Amino acid sequence: MPQQTKVLLVDDEIEFVTALAERLQLRNYDVRYATNALEAISSINTYGPDVIILDLKIPGMDGIEILKTIKKLHQTIEVIMLTGHGDTKSVEEGMKSGAFEYIMKPIDIAELTSKIDKAKKRRNQMKDLSE
Amino acid sequence: MENKTEHDLRLLQLRFIGKILASFTHEIKNHIAIIKESAGLMEDMIKLKQSSNKNEDEYIEIIHSIEEQVEKTNNLFRYLNRFSHRMDTVLSSFNVNESLEELSALLNRFANQKKIVIEKFFQDDIPSIQNNPAILQFLVFHLFMQKMARLDRNSRISIKTEYLNESITIRIITKGTPVNVEKEEEELPHHVQAYILEQIGGSISGENEDVKITLPLRL
Repeated sequence: MPQQTKVLLVDDEIEFVTALAERLQLRNYDVRYATNALEAISSINTYGPDVIILDLKIPGMDGIEILKTIKKLHQTIEVIMLTGHGDTKSVEEGMKSGAFEYIMKPIDIAELTSKIDKAKKRRNQMKDLSE
Repeated sequence: MENKTEHDLRLLQLRFIGKILASFTHEIKNHIAIIKESAGLMEDMIKLKQSSNKNEDEYIEIIHSIEEQVEKTNNLFRYLNRFSHRMDTVLSSFNVNESLEELSALLNRFANQKKIVIEKFFQDDIPSIQNNPAILQFLVFHLFMQKMARLDRNSRISIKTEYLNESITIRIITKGTPVNVEKEEEELPHHVQAYILEQIGGSISGENEDVKITLPLRL
């Protein structure tokens, strides 16, 4: 049986993140969530996610800086950015900073799971290459 | 000279409206995202969960969450609608507290981004004034954004209204750690601010980091 993909959701909207976490769990993903930068960093270290879904506009934190920190410390963890419509500047900056993909709010669950699966596949390939 | 000032004011007002709309649509998008996920979760629970696991209480909780988001969205639309109608006429009779209430609701996202709390201390029984509400909101917006740019995260900004000596005063009081600002993006050009004060028959004074706008009851 294939190992469950470990997904960390980072978004300050608690109602959004809990509903999305449950929807992904029902689709057999192993999910945790964080609602601020400190929780996110702590979760990355203790939980070791394969894929992080990161909202770039969390109050009190610079999403791009968090993304850069994640990619610097954990190169093989893939990050999918959550963005708003018209936020092309952040998307461009995020992709340059090492994000795997982006998805816009409100999200399409099929699109998100497809991107998570692709991100996990790339993480496995990167891990294989580094071993 | 006045034409150039008016021209500059119009351009700055357009920028102000653009900022308010961008902030508003971002907030609405967040509420819609929650509603969509909550509805999606209910669908998933029906389709993907074993029937024995279905929990009526969980459905009720999700329905309440959807209702709450709809209520928040509705309030924001109500504020935006009132804000838009402030521009219908140059002069109108309005309650300063109400105009500041809607402005602070529309400013909330900017404050949230820096984890700055907006506190309101409005005197309940202030009389309505006859003035230009749109230009007053524009002035308060700039003063507020200017204060916010100079404050560190986790600070507070209080907006206080008072009726005294046939005048209404609006105070913007900051509490927190100041930060250096390299570029004063939110500062109004002096000639535009002077023109606004002339239009609203008001004055601005400041003590330390706080600012006070004084307005007449009637123009």
